[in-house]
Order: sequence, then structure tokens, then C-alpha cells
Amino acid sequence: MSRYLSDKSSPFYIDHPERVKKLQALMREKGIDVYLGSRLRTMSWLTDVFCPWRSYIVIPKEGLPTAFIFVIDAGRVADETWLPEENVLAFAPMGGMDQISIISNFITEECLKGKEGVIGVEAGMGCYLPEGNLTHYEYERFAQELAPCKLVNALDLVDSLQMIKDIGTINRFRHASKIVDFGHERFLKHIQNGGWKGMTETEVAGLCGYYMRQAGSVWEWSFTGGNEIASGYRTGIASCACTPPTDKKLEAGEPLMVDIHAMFKLATGDHSHNYFLGHATPRQLWHAKNFEDIVKETLKTYRAGITPSELSNQMLEFAAKRGFAEYMVPGFEHGIGMLGDEWRIGLNDGPIEYWTNPDHVYRENEMVICAMQYACPEENIGFRYENPILINKNDCEWMSKFPLEIQVIK
Amino acid sequence: MSEKLKYLSPEWAAEAFRRLKESFASADTPKVSAAMTNRYKNCPDGKDKYYYVSIVNGEVAELETGEGDGPDAEFKIIGDYDVFAMVSRCEISAQKALMGGKFKFKGNLVKGLKLASLADRLNKITSEIPTEF
Repeated sequence: MSRYLSDKSSPFYIDHPERVKKLQALMREKGIDVYLGSRLRTMSWLTDVFCPWRSYIVIPKEGLPTAFIFVIDAGRVADETWLPEENVLAFAPMGGMDQISIISNFITEECLKGKEGVIGVEAGMGCYLPEGNLTHYEYERFAQELAPCKLVNALDLVDSLQMIKDIGTINRFRHASKIVDFGHERFLKHIQNGGWKGMTETEVAGLCGYYMRQAGSVWEWSFTGGNEIASGYRTGIASCACTPPTDKKLEAGEPLMVDIHAMFKLATGDHSHNYFLGHATPRQLWHAKNFEDIVKETLKTYRAGITPSELSNQMLEFAAKRGFAEYMVPGFEHGIGMLGDEWRIGLNDGPIEYWTNPDHVYRENEMVICAMQYACPEENIGFRYENPILINKNDCEWMSKFPLEIQVIK
Repeated sequence: MSEKLKYLSPEWAAEAFRRLKESFASADTPKVSAAMTNRYKNCPDGKDKYYYVSIVNGEVAELETGEGDGPDAEFKIIGDYDVFAMVSRCEISAQKALMGGKFKFKGNLVKGLKLASLADRLNKITSEIPTEF
């Protein structure tokens, strides 16, 4: 087990047994006998280990959870998690050892002791590809093997506990943002005085990744290409907030968007910075000023008590007064938590199931990625802002401190 | 020894115990402790049988066979008598039987895999006993 998982004096310590107890209290409240987690965000939150392969975690009514990990990775997970070794089991394509058989047997024999019960599962919907909800096949097979137990969708239980961040998680996010800032600082030094000439977007992505790894990042965690780099017209694709890097060469007179991601103990750093290469026209600088101002305005506005729709309305009004509303993608944030929790804000309680509730009321110690996309396709220009923020009572803390100003790099 | 011993009989178990104990004591066996029960379904006489072996600090401590499920060991392998017999004759490997779903394994697979070579050694030694299946 890593030192920070057991050392209560570590700023990154998380009280995992307490997390489990809170989940078990919610299970009792909802009449759930066993919780079967399968989403990446649930694995991260409960095991505190990166589980890149299909994994599951079974939480009984009382006692510690047991994780079920694809055999090629189970030994490492057992080595890194806070859970005792005997609470990390492997599944494999062997008789009785496939994930359906081993988990069903475990639930029936170890958790329910042969009795009937209600099994909470994770079976929702997400825009995030590696979400990890049960597949149709898995659901059907578990239902068959666990009959006559009843399977109910219970992912709201975990989501509700993940929403408010504890201090260990917050500190990990702060540190991940420091790593991202280091990446940006070193990259800026690299591209100054013509250093950018001849580079491609993919080289930018790799270089930033290298610098962040020097500072302790274990992964450019975003599934959108690791680090998202766009230059020229690609910065301004309409409504586009996803730019895996390409082999496009950087060119003078073009904007460059550097959206980089570091991971530190499953906390995800995410900060996007923008540049002009070589020179910029007054019109380009006008766009840049618009972008900088709306970012400042947005960061000033976040606080507990506000909702995503209120914030969006206020910001679009600001943009309209300044004459650039048409260039703003009308969303200002996305959810964030330990690895795997990257999409929806708040809970699954909105008008469209599994999407952000626009009337979600932010509470203290919630976190989001403040995310803004400015795109003017007709002028081949756009900018992106992303920064993890902590919602405070009267304001917010933005974790990446790299200066916002869009510089012209000679 | 030329006389064939009946598979899983008390005589066969005694011979298996003697051979395993000797072999494990003379070889450089890792100082591990583990116990395994093989459960034989569909035996020729219509009964379920078991084969139980325990290793303590790298020494074979116990070996027994009998009718029924046998002791509740840390590792359990469940399968048809015919498949176990094929493994014991080295006609197929235990691994192939497991991967093909012919055997069911119960226990901590990560620990089990660490002990796989030991299990192979057990099988190899017992396969050398002249046996009547």
C-alpha cells in the first residue's frame, strides 16, 4: 500500500473506511443488500487505484468491499490499494473464474449467505466512453445467476457521496494543477524565440506530457487524445470542445490552443492555455480580449448557491453586451472527480436523465472544471479555457494558476 | 512398483503422500503454505469424491481421498472424474482444463497462479504412480 493511503498526516490522505461506511448507510436507507459497482469513477473512489481494465467492486451491507479485477492487473491493484490483499480477487477466462461466475458466487455465498436480497448495480448512461455501466449482457447474466435476487439501478448512491470533495481529494487536485502549470511553464519556455517553428500539434502534446511527467504526472488522463492541441482553423471549429492533436504543423499568424492533462493520485489536472504564433492582427487580439474577459467574469461569478443555468445566462448576457455571444459555446463547466468522474455535474436529478441538471444548486466543496470554448469558424480562430475550480461559499478557487493572458509568441 | 493402484483409493492416496513428501523434502521447494481440494463429479461408481492435499512451509503435510466434498480448502477445483483422470494421466494439462471450462476453480486466483507451478509438480509426481482408473 502506498504511504499516503495510510498516513493520516499526509495532505493527500483519504478516509476510505469512512467512505465505505457512508455508502453502507445509504444502502441500508434504500433497502439495498449488496452494491455491485462497475464504473471507473466508483472503482477510483473506493479502491484509490487506477483500474484501466474491466473491474468491479462488491460492497456488502457491513465490512470491507471486495474488488474483482482482470487477472493481468489484479496483483498490481492489490499492491497499491488500501484494501487488504484478500479483498482483491482476480477474474479470468477459467471455469468458475469468469467475472459473472466469481462475482455471482461471491455475492450469493459471502454477502447474502444463500438468502435473497436486493443488489444495487450501476446501469445508467453517459457521454463519457469509459463510464463502465453494466452492459446489457452483464446485466442479463447477473440477473440470471443471482435470481431470485432483484437488481436495481443504484448509481445515485455513489454519485451523491462523490459530489462534495474531502480535503485529501481537494489537495490532490491542487497538486495535479501544479503539475499542469509546470507543464505549461516549461512548454512556454520551449516555444519562445522561435522554438515553436516546425513543430506539429502531436509534438506539442508529447512535449507537454514529458514536462508534466517530469513533475510527477502518471498519465495524460483525458480520453480525448491525452493532451488536446489545436492550431489555426482547428481552434475555431464550430461548437468544438474536443481536439485530439494531429500532425498539422504550427504556422505563423495562427492561434494555438494547448489543453493539457496531468494525473496525480487519481486527481485530474486540466488546464487549457492559448497563444498566437509569430504575430496577431488587431481583430485576433479583439477576440482574445473577449475571451480573457469572459473567463475572468466567469471565475468571479462561481460560488455556492448559483446554478449552471444562472451562470450561463449571466455570462451569455455579458458576451451579448460585448458583441461576441455568437462565438460562445453555451456551457461553462463540466463535472470532475477522481478518475472516471468527468462528465455530469451534480446528481442524476435533471429533466433529461443522466445529463446535468441545469438547476443544480452548487454547494461548498463541490468541484467542476470551469470550461469555456470560444469559436469563430469564419475567421479560423478559437480559444479554450479549462481549469478545475473548488466552489466556496462566496467565490471559487481556481487551481491552475498559469496566467490567463493570450501572448503572442515570437 | 508394477502393481496398479486404484485411483483415489486409500492405497493410492498413501502412495501419493509418500512420493510427494519425499519429492518435496528433497527438492528446493518454496516455503509456502496452501491447501487444495479437488472435487470429482460423476465418478464411475456414481459417487462424488475428493482429493485433498495440504502443504505447510513447503512440506506436504496431509493428503487424503474419500467420498463427498472433502475439507473446505483455500483452493478448490471441481470437475468430472474423467477430466481429472485425463489430467492425472498427463493427457491434458490442468491449465487447459481450467481455460476450457472443464474445471471450475474457487479461491484467490492471484495467489493460485503464484502456486501454479507447485500444482503442476503435484500432478506430475502423482501421474507417475501406476494407476488403474
